[in-house]
Amino acid sequence: MPSFSAEERQLLNDSLNEFLSENYSFERWKKLARGGEMEGFGRAEWAKYAELGWLGVALPEAAGGSGGGMTELGIVMAAAGRRMVLEPLLGTVVLGAGAIELVGTQAQRETLLPQIATGRLFIAFCHAEPGAGYARDWVHAIARRDGSLLVIDGEKSFALGAHAAHTLLVSARLGSQAGPVCLFLVPRTAGGVRLNVAPALDGRLGATVSFAGAKIAAEAKVGDDDEDRLGMIDRLIDRGAIAVCAEACGAMAAVTQATVDYLKTRQQFGQPLSKFQVLQHKLVDMSVSSEEARAIVHAALQALDDKAPGAQRAVWAAKVQTARSARLVGSQAIQLHGGMGMTDELAIGHYYKRLTLCETLFGDGEFYLKKIGAAAAACVVA
Amino acid sequence: MFIRAVQPNSGLDAFRTEVRAFCEREMPPEVRRKQARGQHLEKSEYDAWLKRLGARGWLTGKWPKEYGGLGWPPEQFLAFQEELGRASAPPLVSFGPTMAGPVIYTFGTPEQKQKHLQDIIRNNTWWCQGYSEPGAGSDLAGLKTRAVRDGNHYVVDGQKIWTSMAHWADMMFALVRTDPNAKKQEGISFLLIDMKSPGLTVRPIIGITLGHHLNEVFFEGVRVPVENRIGEENKGWTYAKFLLANERVGNVDVAKLEAYLRQIRCLLDATQEGGKALAEDPAFQRRLAELEVGLATVKALMADQLAAARTNGAPSLMGAAALKLRGTELVQAILQTGLDALGRHGMVYQSDALHAGWNGELIGPEGSADVIYEHLYRRAATIYGGSSEVQKNIIAKGALGL
Repeated sequence: MPSFSAEERQLLNDSLNEFLSENYSFERWKKLARGGEMEGFGRAEWAKYAELGWLGVALPEAAGGSGGGMTELGIVMAAAGRRMVLEPLLGTVVLGAGAIELVGTQAQRETLLPQIATGRLFIAFCHAEPGAGYARDWVHAIARRDGSLLVIDGEKSFALGAHAAHTLLVSARLGSQAGPVCLFLVPRTAGGVRLNVAPALDGRLGATVSFAGAKIAAEAKVGDDDEDRLGMIDRLIDRGAIAVCAEACGAMAAVTQATVDYLKTRQQFGQPLSKFQVLQHKLVDMSVSSEEARAIVHAALQALDDKAPGAQRAVWAAKVQTARSARLVGSQAIQLHGGMGMTDELAIGHYYKRLTLCETLFGDGEFYLKKIGAAAAACVVA
Repeated sequence: MFIRAVQPNSGLDAFRTEVRAFCEREMPPEVRRKQARGQHLEKSEYDAWLKRLGARGWLTGKWPKEYGGLGWPPEQFLAFQEELGRASAPPLVSFGPTMAGPVIYTFGTPEQKQKHLQDIIRNNTWWCQGYSEPGAGSDLAGLKTRAVRDGNHYVVDGQKIWTSMAHWADMMFALVRTDPNAKKQEGISFLLIDMKSPGLTVRPIIGITLGHHLNEVFFEGVRVPVENRIGEENKGWTYAKFLLANERVGNVDVAKLEAYLRQIRCLLDATQEGGKALAEDPAFQRRLAELEVGLATVKALMADQLAAARTNGAPSLMGAAALKLRGTELVQAILQTGLDALGRHGMVYQSDALHAGWNGELIGPEGSADVIYEHLYRRAATIYGGSSEVQKNIIAKGALGL
């Protein structure tokens, strides 16, 4: 995997944080999240991200990208987490682009990846189904061949960004319930596609999607052959999982800093709250916990970029640690802000909600602990 | 900032193989046998093993090349530790290679480097740490052991306590008060003291492990040559803090954590409940998974600090504190899991089984006594090197500006 030099990573990180701190204030966030257009994010912002090269950071240079790897994508997601960015990076840049790059046909790669890099294509990943829980291999939607068309039937659980996506990236079994699981690019506005749009806990919009005889062109299948893609979807979800971990790291760093700053100014008992050792140690717990997540997420991103044999396990471990850290940091941020942390007006509660989403998207800590425990190393006597 | 200093390094497979083959070939059978049984080594056995590692420069592989190290990048040091852990090798001793050595090569005179570094690299000297005193624990800078200048010597009077391995040590690095009138951090000097000096007495402290690891060290008119002072007089606190950051990284032994975790897995295999191994109990599987995640996190934090040490000459005080906090909590959690399994065997502690030549009949799985010994001993993990509460104070002040 080609990757950036240390200097290029630093530049990317700085450009993200500079731009977002100037243009993505919490006031702006509120306007975008609760604007009248009912999109819940900013199209102008998205165009700007494209212009700055963030959307194509991990895409090949041939597709107009910068040729970075997961580490670079992680840097983008962490910066996005810092500001609770609302635009659909996850569905489009992490998952959509990932799927097309991993198994797309040459034509799909040549047309779609540049559209992603230039900000002209939104994708939402519609894989989980009612009954799946966090299981990655539970697919009952069906895509049947009908002449030159494919007809899709099935139900997909809530997917972030589905409400505004041009294209839904949908998993379904080909032919029958015994068929291979394939991925399909379904236009959101195709006949037979019904969305139930709703806000997630953190206010971002998405939708559940049902398909009832939805007809799409045969070329809408991702990839040439009819191979089963569950293995590839497994890798794709790892990619999604570690991306939300990176996002959580950014959010944790930001909300920890906000809490430190608040306790330095808030006066009680005649002195700043930050002078109380019991509160100092709580802040330290938040800070160390954020650092733990950052360290292990970096290690997992690097393992993915290195294609290390233990990369998947590293992602799972990172998800467990990040989930644990996110819960502690988010809840303590509210606790230490007291009543102020409970208000919709302050960013703190919104960080808590974003972190809760990061904790649970693609599987919570307990889910991954179960996976790690089930695949535990046996007793080996040296 | 979401930037990591650790760079990818794919060339370590050959090195890992080399370490594995070395352990296979060079670990004496008696050491191997004792390690497998969880028995304690005699100093001579330990020394011989460390000298073999030292002959390759591996004890000090992460030192810069200019001081006789091998300039290992962080990943290589971690790989080394992992392989030692997998081979059930005796743990490394950090007093010389991690604590004394870096202080000497960073702040010492050319003569001091000449005199001490090679002996640390080859494990020709065993070191101990003269920091804590009866009246100076968490408040280390409150130490009272006096050093009064007399010609070309300091005359040292006072007492150190909790001195690990003092009874094996040839040399001590010690903090002494050279200016009783200055602010407490500003009147301290850093001395290297020969343990065979007249007037120096070592007295054992028997721990809750029932073992002898800790000591008191008494100084009565001990004469230490001035040339044994590190850096400037009364600037010892600076070197002490530098050393503490290294110590805290050294407090976390990845090889040991690996070995404990493997040992606990085996214990859960060997322990049954209702005729079924605890290793198959979902509750214990979950705990093992948590411990594995903890280990991956600690390794990642460790890699960051090793990278910082390589780039800046020392780990960051804050990063080392965070690593120490989590690494020591983890070692306790791993050993607690072992202890919870041993409850099923009646929680027997045959501490005599830790010594070679014991002929008694073992109750419970092999290595049980070692798990209990280590559990008891590692209660100190969140105390030594600065208690967890002190680490939090350091982070609060240094990293969060509170």
